[in-house]
Amino acid sequence: MWIIEYYDLIRILAISDLRVKYQSSVLGFLWSLLNPFLMLMVLYVVFSRLFTTSGPDFILFLFVGITSYRFFSNGTTASVSSIVAKTSLVMKVYIPREVLVFSSVLSSLISAFLEFIILFALLIVFKNPFTWNILLFPIITLIYFVIIYGVGLTLGALYVFYRDLNQIWEVVLSIGFFLSPILYPVTRIPEHMLKYYMLNPVTTIMVMYRDSLLYGTTPSAWLYGYSIFIAIVLLGIGLAVFRRLQWRFAEEI
Amino acid sequence: MNYVRCGPSDHPQSGTGSDESMVQVTRLSKKFKLPHQRSLTAFDRLAAFIKRQPPLYEEFFALRDVNFHVEKGETLGIIGPNGSGKSTLLKIVAGVLAPDRGCVFVRGKVAPFLELGAGFEPELSARENIYLYGAIMGIPRKEIDRRYWDILDFAELHRFEFMKLRNFSSGMYARLAFSIAIQTNPDIFLLDEVLAVGDETFQKKCIEKIEEIRQSGKTILFVSHSLAEVKKLCRNCILLYNGQVAKIGPSDHVIETYLYDMEKMSS
Repeated sequence: MWIIEYYDLIRILAISDLRVKYQSSVLGFLWSLLNPFLMLMVLYVVFSRLFTTSGPDFILFLFVGITSYRFFSNGTTASVSSIVAKTSLVMKVYIPREVLVFSSVLSSLISAFLEFIILFALLIVFKNPFTWNILLFPIITLIYFVIIYGVGLTLGALYVFYRDLNQIWEVVLSIGFFLSPILYPVTRIPEHMLKYYMLNPVTTIMVMYRDSLLYGTTPSAWLYGYSIFIAIVLLGIGLAVFRRLQWRFAEEI
Repeated sequence: MNYVRCGPSDHPQSGTGSDESMVQVTRLSKKFKLPHQRSLTAFDRLAAFIKRQPPLYEEFFALRDVNFHVEKGETLGIIGPNGSGKSTLLKIVAGVLAPDRGCVFVRGKVAPFLELGAGFEPELSARENIYLYGAIMGIPRKEIDRRYWDILDFAELHRFEFMKLRNFSSGMYARLAFSIAIQTNPDIFLLDEVLAVGDETFQKKCIEKIEEIRQSGKTILFVSHSLAEVKKLCRNCILLYNGQVAKIGPSDHVIETYLYDMEKMSS
């Protein structure tokens, strides 16, 4: 299995990704923490007026949405260019190319973890009661990781052939921001739309995060079942697309 | 670590010898599509589809029906003018490109020295790049820990251990890459013009190192424009013209043919 064989390379690529990203800016890796924080403040100020819901509950609600969506958008955006950005590793040496996508998603997982640490700090500051359901956090994150990796494989492979995919994906991500329950709870969605709305795997993951971290309830088996199912489907599609296209990478890149 | 790579319509069974060759290439062809106009975006392709204009391209054979095999411990030279398919051939053996027709069989672990320093990260220090490049080459981390000083010694870059790679000169860059790459312990080496790096003294050191690798019984595919080096290192040689094998045999004869052809062409 290439994950084990190339473990060192995956680790080094992921870490050097982060170092290159943060070392060249003055505030260094503080930016990765400041960014979601500033976003939280802006969204809180605007939407607490708009929805007339405020207080620590709304802050925590927003922050779970923001950090989990940032994991998705950072992970997939990094995967889009993961193959093309490492031209020399595709053209000049042989490594399993999945390594490149995997390490990109891994480095955004590490960034996401740093943001989740802030989230946990906020949970403590606002005295949100912890329950055993917090133990579900790693499981939900693992499912989420597989979803992002599956989407990332598809995007990374297609980007080699369609170089405007990054622009298209940026638009998809902006639409996705509003189609996911980041700013509003799922209960705001009209009944007859709900079954379509819940098809979005980012939505089910967000609901599961909130259930287990904020409300201390166990997410329903239905949510788990669907999320795992969609993770496997997306991974399957990603692997199929990637394997089909990867033998022409070195010619097209 | 053995592997077989074949074109879409070829099967590994057809034409496989059961001999003990380390690398065997049978009826290998590689064709590149040269588009008249690069259409690299989804938008372009959609526009072409709506206008019912299939993209125009020329086909060009980089390799045509190439056959050869390399025995264990053999060093095979590959020579030919620019654009004759030497690098494409090595890339297919390395697994970077896939064949369109024919098959490639490789027995053992391959070290692709296709271009030294591929994958170096200019923003990281020499030290970090040693670990990065080692991981790309598939050297276990412990092994690099152990040979760390050997690498810096060989590259003569002790003083620059913590310098960022973007501040390196191209000679230093190549020296570092070569020093790490020779720490790999594969069965088959693919060397593509690797001696064109560094100054004279370092080149001499490289040749000695390659000679040492050769004598330890490793299999080497050696691409070079330096016919003197090819003659020195390789007993057998392949001459490629336009992707086809023009001559294969003892280096002296093949090089003679090549020089004769060159002269004939220039006169």
